[in-house]
Amino acid sequence: MALQWSSETFVAELKDLQANAMAVDCLGTQAVLAGKKTLAYVNLENSEEGDDGSNVTRVARQSKWDVNCIQFNPHASHAPLYVTACNTRLDVCQLSDRNGNPVCTLKAHSRIICDVDWSPFDVNVVASCSVDSFTYLWDIREPKKPVHSFQTVAGAYQVKWNKVTNNLFATTHEGDIRIWDPRKGNSPQQYIAAHLSKIHGLDWSPDNQNQFVTASQDGYVKLWDYTNPKKCFGSTDSGAPVRRARYTPFGAGLVTVVVPQLKRGENSLYLWKITKQSDMSPVHTFVGHKDVVLEFQWRKQPEGSRDQQLVTWSRDQSLRIWRIDPNLQRLCGHDGGDSGEVDLTGTSYNSSESTLKDLRDLSLSEPTMEDEMEISVATVTMAQQARSLQQEFSQLNTDIPNITLDQMDPVSRTCRVTGVGGGQKVIMECLFPEAYPNNVSPSFQILTTTLDAAMQSRLLKVLSDTSVKFVRRNNNCLEMCLRQLMSILDSMDDRRSPESEASFTRAPPPIVQATAFNILPMYSLGNFQDSSVPFPRTSGARFSSNGFLVAFGVPAEMKKVSGGAEITPKALSELAAFTQTSWNNTRTNPFSLVFSRSPPTPSSDMSISDFFEKKGRQRSSRHSHSHSLSRRPKRQERYGEKLSSKKQLSVGKVKIYDVEVLVGVNKYLAQHYKMDLDDVEGTCRHNQSAAAAIGRKDLVQTWSIAATMASRKVLPSPVPQMEMPWAMTPCGRPLLKYILDQHGAQFDVQTLAMLCCLFWTPDPPRPRARSQAQVPRSGSKVSLEFTPPNYNPYHTVSSVTGLLKGLRTRHMRMSTFEGGGSQSAYEAEMYDEGHDSAVAKSKRSMSWSDTFDTADDGRSSNGLESQEELEKLQHEDNCKMLDPAVWEQYDRYKLAYAKILYNWRLFNQRALVLKFISTPVPQHKGVEFAVCCHKCGKEMRGPQCSWCKYPALQCSICHIGVRGLANFCLVCGHGGHTVHILEWFKSHSVCPTGCGCNCLKENLFGG
Amino acid sequence: MVSVISSVDTGHEDMIHDAQLDYYGTKLATCSSDRSIKLFDVSSGQQVPIADLRGHEGPVWQLCWAHPMYGSVLASCGYDRKVIIWKETNGSWDKLYEYSNHDSSVNSVCFAPHELGLVLACGSSDGSISVISTTGDGNWDAKKINNAHTIGCNAVSWAPSTSPNALFDQGARQQPAKRFVSGGCDNLVKIWREEDGQWVEDQKLEGHSDWVRDVAWAPSIGLPRNVIATCSQDCRVIIWTNDGTSNHWTSRVLNKFSDVVWHVSWSVTGNILAVSGGDNKVTLWKESVEGQWTCISDVNKGQGQITDQRSSSVEPNYNTRRRLDL
Repeated sequence: MALQWSSETFVAELKDLQANAMAVDCLGTQAVLAGKKTLAYVNLENSEEGDDGSNVTRVARQSKWDVNCIQFNPHASHAPLYVTACNTRLDVCQLSDRNGNPVCTLKAHSRIICDVDWSPFDVNVVASCSVDSFTYLWDIREPKKPVHSFQTVAGAYQVKWNKVTNNLFATTHEGDIRIWDPRKGNSPQQYIAAHLSKIHGLDWSPDNQNQFVTASQDGYVKLWDYTNPKKCFGSTDSGAPVRRARYTPFGAGLVTVVVPQLKRGENSLYLWKITKQSDMSPVHTFVGHKDVVLEFQWRKQPEGSRDQQLVTWSRDQSLRIWRIDPNLQRLCGHDGGDSGEVDLTGTSYNSSESTLKDLRDLSLSEPTMEDEMEISVATVTMAQQARSLQQEFSQLNTDIPNITLDQMDPVSRTCRVTGVGGGQKVIMECLFPEAYPNNVSPSFQILTTTLDAAMQSRLLKVLSDTSVKFVRRNNNCLEMCLRQLMSILDSMDDRRSPESEASFTRAPPPIVQATAFNILPMYSLGNFQDSSVPFPRTSGARFSSNGFLVAFGVPAEMKKVSGGAEITPKALSELAAFTQTSWNNTRTNPFSLVFSRSPPTPSSDMSISDFFEKKGRQRSSRHSHSHSLSRRPKRQERYGEKLSSKKQLSVGKVKIYDVEVLVGVNKYLAQHYKMDLDDVEGTCRHNQSAAAAIGRKDLVQTWSIAATMASRKVLPSPVPQMEMPWAMTPCGRPLLKYILDQHGAQFDVQTLAMLCCLFWTPDPPRPRARSQAQVPRSGSKVSLEFTPPNYNPYHTVSSVTGLLKGLRTRHMRMSTFEGGGSQSAYEAEMYDEGHDSAVAKSKRSMSWSDTFDTADDGRSSNGLESQEELEKLQHEDNCKMLDPAVWEQYDRYKLAYAKILYNWRLFNQRALVLKFISTPVPQHKGVEFAVCCHKCGKEMRGPQCSWCKYPALQCSICHIGVRGLANFCLVCGHGGHTVHILEWFKSHSVCPTGCGCNCLKENLFGG
Repeated sequence: MVSVISSVDTGHEDMIHDAQLDYYGTKLATCSSDRSIKLFDVSSGQQVPIADLRGHEGPVWQLCWAHPMYGSVLASCGYDRKVIIWKETNGSWDKLYEYSNHDSSVNSVCFAPHELGLVLACGSSDGSISVISTTGDGNWDAKKINNAHTIGCNAVSWAPSTSPNALFDQGARQQPAKRFVSGGCDNLVKIWREEDGQWVEDQKLEGHSDWVRDVAWAPSIGLPRNVIATCSQDCRVIIWTNDGTSNHWTSRVLNKFSDVVWHVSWSVTGNILAVSGGDNKVTLWKESVEGQWTCISDVNKGQGQITDQRSSSVEPNYNTRRRLDL
């Protein structure tokens, strides 16, 4: 985007008009704005002088329909003639003496008219199109009926005459375009499927008869040559729906307007350059309108004027004229001929200054608008784009308290300032580089001061931060910097005598200023952009991570202004609408015509507290209140200086609730629970009493069951053949799982994790294959590990083979069960299967059991061994109270509980819980020494062998595993405790093991 | 018993928009329309002002504390389109980083689970979401998801790092899930996941009929499921659940309230949901063992009262006991 600033020379605010349509006549002297109730004629000619209101003439109109579009006759001979489209009717009027005299009415359409266009070649011909699917050509001398009619299947939204050649016009129908020639009957010359969604705007090229541009809801702006309807020759995606795209009268450029609803950001009017390759690149953004631009037109310039002017009408109800100077035109590829020596700052600035003067006069003469004016003046000075330093100096508001400008020299680009305040004095020099203010900030230097060094550096930092912020947007920063200087000096004053505030019993906390001191509000609430900003929350409740609930809200004595009936608005912009309605009513002069060339002026400083009022208060009193509020000179208010009582009234207290009782985890229990794996039963009993102590009967129950389950009497035997492990009985694993599920459903992660830890059976130190690559019998391994939760070991093959082996013993035992007659149906079933079908089942088995059968047959020692081992593994798994298949899940409980313990700062308990995590720790990534365990010879990582749990290094001197600091030789690999090694090498240079390695030398060499 | 343990008079000059306790529950941070953020030490039950952070040029909408392993770090976002990260060093608070790459009001900030590093997501009214992360050496990196929500994004919330995720459960079990959920003015709730360093849309949940105002991913206690609560301008709160293995989310309307719902917040174990909205009330909701959501209490902040329906909150426990009597 170019570093160019356009300047608007004329702004008229016509608040009451509610106009949707605007037109500028072909001479550039008049503009017409059409609203539902009023038509307004704005004289553009002497717009730059004064604003006594004589520029605007209002004419009431009686209609319940809005004017959809309005257009002046493009022929100078008939310049006062204009046509308006209102519902199904066209009115042609003659503008004379600031009043529109009806000429004729054209009526034929059956539905609303969407667009009208005067023929650029025939002074009497006007085209209109409507959603009734007809496009009519009218001769205003014969207003009875249209001279031509063209029908299409879909409604027409735009009709536009070709600007170069006669007898050619285009209509748009949703995403399609039709090109017509009225001489060739009523079928179109060309069909073009241009866009995926509705086309909002079409404009013919002013210099090529075949070309036109379209703007569409789909966000694309496309360039077309209608002789090639298949493909556009240039397009750009603007990211948001485009309402209008029109060629510039100079060079090769486009101006586009973006559709309101989806518009974000402040700029809605863009200037584009069309390159030779038909690419479009953005050149300029017209900043100023606070709402979407509804209509824009080029204003004809008097002969000899190099500037171009763009007249815009926006939904913010302001009319603006933008001057497009030759520099900007050149950016669009316009060659102004002798444009080389145009001085940008010279002429243009004279005019802008005069406007500014007008504005000041105005603010003096219009006391009712004082507050608004004040803001305007402030922002004008702030945002005035004085490109020359001299300009900035001359426009500087020198009336800043405690700051005196001693010297301003635009030639040497310096300025000297003296600031006095807070009992301190600063004399500073500012140096402005050549490129300032285009992203180059001035440098500041303190010449003499009474400030201490810390304050000095802080001051300089604040100033440079402030200046950077402004010059980044190519704005001048001197005034803001001076104001910063002032506020810093003032704040030091404050610091010396801190006001005692009632709410703070202690000294006020340090105020941390991150960027700048209290400067003007950069962002004011209630702009149109706020339509996408959600309405602020004024109440809320948030859980903190350790059992507290923080709640805040509006005090009970406050209520919504709107009353409780309707729901709270959605967007912040609605707040603006809401507070302004009551505000406007009290204003005496509703039609404010404001001259200003400033970028967006912040609207009155409203706050969300405006949405609330005290209960029982009368509405009218609120009006006066808010009125006085808005009249207050906001910009001079500083924090702590003057507080709005109303705002403070609506600030409630923040309450912190203790909701631990509801959360389900208990800190007391966490502190008092024990975890002793050597005596699980005792631990459960202990925990049971802890739960009883705080009255958690449900937990008492759980722990007592757990204690019974963990009883020593039911400890599994290490030998698989002995008996069915307790875990496999219904009161073993299934019951525990049920209890866990119950607590899971209640989110009682505390009990879950405790149970998971207590019933966790550590893997004995044996080479258990966790990774599949390890073992030849990997297939079987996997199937063992990932058995379903309801897995019954006596149905699987490995157990069947076990059964085969120990059939006799088992059979005997089961017979005793039968004889006892007390066993459950479950056991009976077990028995049945075990007794009757064990053999058959093993035969029937499809999968790898067959291989085991054959292995059995072969009696190979290898097979036997692995079979036994497998059996043992399986038995160990079966003995576990927690299903190993879902160990990962159980680990997650422990992790979650560990997190909560960390939150409570119960670090010991947390460490205890984490000890039970069976998930391997994430592997260290980085450079590591590969170490072989000296005991089992396996390669390993870390300080401990993962198989035999022996420390990785054995000290070569004391032959004990090293747990602390270690050193070893990189060549022979021997080493040990750092102390021992140090001692050894004090007197020796060879390896203590006697391997012959000259360790000291080797490592020196290697290093 | 639910009790007020502390009542803090913040001294803000305008509406408060957010209040958050830090990880250990000792520090309270509040932010307001008066453009300031105030910090209080509440560990002693009293309010001791710590700092008054000024740096925003507009109302400050939301705050988020980082995990203490990164020190005392607080993020704030506001109407001035900025996200500011504040840090305490030796007792004094200062700005650590300022992110101002949004074109409109920033409505929500949320720190990622600490396992992912110091990572922050923020959603803005310009429709985009930024994920800001630091390498720890003062360099910050931002990834922007443009047009994440048409019109605007109102809320973001990270998935717990241990949340079950179909993608990560196979093989790379150790890798923490990097996902978050967002809600916006397009009435949609979207789940995002990082894939090869890029954020991609994982799921799009349709259910609300107006702007989504807040989203909250429930903390995980290890159960194999994901739960998300969302609330909206349409006055409804929706609970979305997913079994942790498939990509299917089922929705269930918690309740339709009388006014707009602004905020949902989960308790640390994910069993209670606090709902607050335009009616200036806070309600607490609990899922019973049968999976029914019931309102267990009503915190009416206006009167400072809490209508605690103790019976219903304790009942599930008795249920359990009965059920355990085998």
